[in-house]
Amino acid sequence: MRLNANFLAHDTGNGWVLVPTGGTAFSGVVRGNKTFGEILKALSSEVDEAEIACRIRERFDAPEDVVELDVARALAELRRVGALDE
Amino acid sequence: MCALHGMYRFADRTVSIDSVYDMVHAMCRDYAVDADRPDVVVRTTPVDIAFEESVSTDGIEYTDDYLETLAVYRKVAEAMPSFDTLLVHGSCVAVDGAGYLFCAPSGTGKSTHVRLLRELLGSRAHMVNDDKPLVGVFDTGAIVYGTPWDGKHHLSNNVSVRLRSICLIERALENRIRRAEAAEAYPRVLQQVYRPMNQGALARTLSLVDTLLALTDVWVLGCNMDRKAAELSFAAMSGRGAP
Repeated sequence: MRLNANFLAHDTGNGWVLVPTGGTAFSGVVRGNKTFGEILKALSSEVDEAEIACRIRERFDAPEDVVELDVARALAELRRVGALDE
Repeated sequence: MCALHGMYRFADRTVSIDSVYDMVHAMCRDYAVDADRPDVVVRTTPVDIAFEESVSTDGIEYTDDYLETLAVYRKVAEAMPSFDTLLVHGSCVAVDGAGYLFCAPSGTGKSTHVRLLRELLGSRAHMVNDDKPLVGVFDTGAIVYGTPWDGKHHLSNNVSVRLRSICLIERALENRIRRAEAAEAYPRVLQQVYRPMNQGALARTLSLVDTLLALTDVWVLGCNMDRKAAELSFAAMSGRGAP
């Protein structure tokens, strides 16, 4: 999977936002924390869920089950707004 | 079909408009200029009008000439980020030479709050734009510009003012105001900024919002619709206490 090219991720300094360009049904703003930002960065190239979780664990000191849940929730939200190419 | 032509000045940029209908020119007449080198060229077609109709979500059947005014502003807004300028959905009032921009989703009460503020402050307060001003984001500060796209009450003037504060309005039973937390300011302001369909212009917009928030105080106002709310917001945002 990877991030759909019709979405732009932006680091606000205090979190991340994901916004669609034209050509998407979703027209809102998805906001998230630094973990969400790392997930978005991982999705800039083809990657699978386990690999994203692995990258997050390398970046943040958090229990494995917490990371896996965070990644699953983020991917579910990205799927909901049509931001994932799978 | 013959296009109708006019030249206008919005946010210190010259815009050439070629339209199908006359309404947009009548609407923009206070912004007309005599110029021959536009910064932005806007041409609308029936396809643009049909697009505006397709994205209208309120169920109202608008006339084509009105829809064309929206199409023109969309094209202006798409071009403006390249001039470091954003279209912001909000109501801006100038008080003693400083701009106060109130933003909220439609129907929350921006215009009502600004009306209360104008009633409170009398001749010290001047309307800049009640719905869709342009905001220039420059190293020296942010400037709010009046535009003809000024909401259902048509409150605007062809003026500009240095932006002092942005206030995010939400309804509440009791009036209260606080500074926006850093993490909430960006997404909430971005929700009220026109986000271009062009990817390059959108990327520029996201960066301009960063700069805008670095330059400007952002407040969150929970308010009902009485005069006390205006007293509270102005006291906090102006830093001068109650008027």
